[in-house]
Amino acid sequence: MFVIKHRSADSWFMVFVVFSDGFILLSRMSTTSQKHRDFVGEPMGDKSVTALSGIGESLGKKLEEQGFDKAYVVLGQFLLLRKDTEMFTEWLKDASGANSRQAGSCAQCLREWCDAFL
Amino acid sequence: MAEFLEDPSVLTKDKLKNELAANNVPLPSGEHKKEVYVQLYLKNLTVLNNKKSPPADTFSSDEELPAPVVSNKSRSGRKATKKTDKPRTEEVEVTDLTDEDLKQQLAKHGVESGPIVASTRKLYEKKLQKLLDQPPAEPEAPTDVTALPKADSNQNGNTNSDQYSDKEDEEIAAPEPEPVPVVEKPVRSRGKAPVTVRTSSRRQTKVVEEIVVEETPKKASESVVEDILANEISTPTGISATCRRPIRGAAGRPLKPSEYWLDESRVQHSIHTESRSYSESFSRPGSAVSSSKATARRGFLSVLLKLLLLVVVGGSLYYAYQNLDADQINTLKGLLDSVIVPLQGAVDSAATYLGISSSSATESTGK
Repeated sequence: MFVIKHRSADSWFMVFVVFSDGFILLSRMSTTSQKHRDFVGEPMGDKSVTALSGIGESLGKKLEEQGFDKAYVVLGQFLLLRKDTEMFTEWLKDASGANSRQAGSCAQCLREWCDAFL
Repeated sequence: MAEFLEDPSVLTKDKLKNELAANNVPLPSGEHKKEVYVQLYLKNLTVLNNKKSPPADTFSSDEELPAPVVSNKSRSGRKATKKTDKPRTEEVEVTDLTDEDLKQQLAKHGVESGPIVASTRKLYEKKLQKLLDQPPAEPEAPTDVTALPKADSNQNGNTNSDQYSDKEDEEIAAPEPEPVPVVEKPVRSRGKAPVTVRTSSRRQTKVVEEIVVEETPKKASESVVEDILANEISTPTGISATCRRPIRGAAGRPLKPSEYWLDESRVQHSIHTESRSYSESFSRPGSAVSSSKATARRGFLSVLLKLLLLVVVGGSLYYAYQNLDADQINTLKGLLDSVIVPLQGAVDSAATYLGISSSSATESTGK
């Protein structure tokens, strides 16, 4: 049996497993969450800040309190920081109390969105 | 004892006189205005309240008593704190920098910063603070809001610090704790995810042949596995294949598995297919959870498990040879078939649970 991995789309792996008796197993794996893919897949329009990957209810509320009520406002902050994910992560952690994983996920989400649409 | 009134004028003249007399204060002879006695009272008695040094007996009734005391206090206290006493240059005080200066300072340290606006200012201040704290090797207190002058970065000159012999900044000997947060790098989220994906896909393939995966903890991949997997993704097109093993039973090749497909372990199974599937029936009850753990990842643990499996297989063979009873073996074979089919079903249900689709030939008969 052997395995073939093929990187099909941005974050997708197609995995073909061929078994010794001819059995072929096809599977799909992704490195990103569904929320991430949903956000990066289309213009954000008027989506709420909770649509961002890594931003849940509580974090979203804290951001809204500071005036970042829409995803595009957070995008604005990201752009102000020159799309620097590290700076953005730091800012997000400071502004909303997000942890590293959440902030990193959000930064990554925004960066990919920018790569696709900006 | 604070028993004397601050405002003796509330008392009557007679009372004042009595109070004064009671405290051995010499009264002016004759009848004077109440004011006189009030002043006396204040001078002699109220002053005692404050435990100040007793004023001299010679006094003038017109004197203002509390005033000198108060003014003394102001003068006798600490030295005048002039603004320039604790020199804070703009260089070091990041919060005092203008936006332009802050940007320039960051540029000096090689940081390309975006516009300094309300929402970004604090961040860049922190960054500059961090940068300023790094270079100085001397055990100076890290520049915080209460900044210390630094000779090298002192644009305004060192004269300020030299002018005053009693430097207050020398009091701060111990370094103040830095409030700068440490930015954790989200490497984990990116670096590990691909690796784990690869190992998990391998895991799934293993599940069919062996029931291994149940207790795979989420650890970093072993270097062996990483090396193998790293090779796979390094190809430009992303298409890669593992080492291809000869297909057993094809092209006239014997069914006997001479070498196992697991590259990380290279476990050699000398047993034939029957006894291997036989062993699966034994190990299956112990690994019922394997189906739900198909997202597992461990190479090292799989090696251990395979060795364990080998031992179990060996033991089961020994047990079988002990019996050497045809009837029993036949019943066991029948049992085996009833086990393998649900096993396949379990694997497929796991696959669908995870959202991965199986292609054609989903149901292969028997292994």
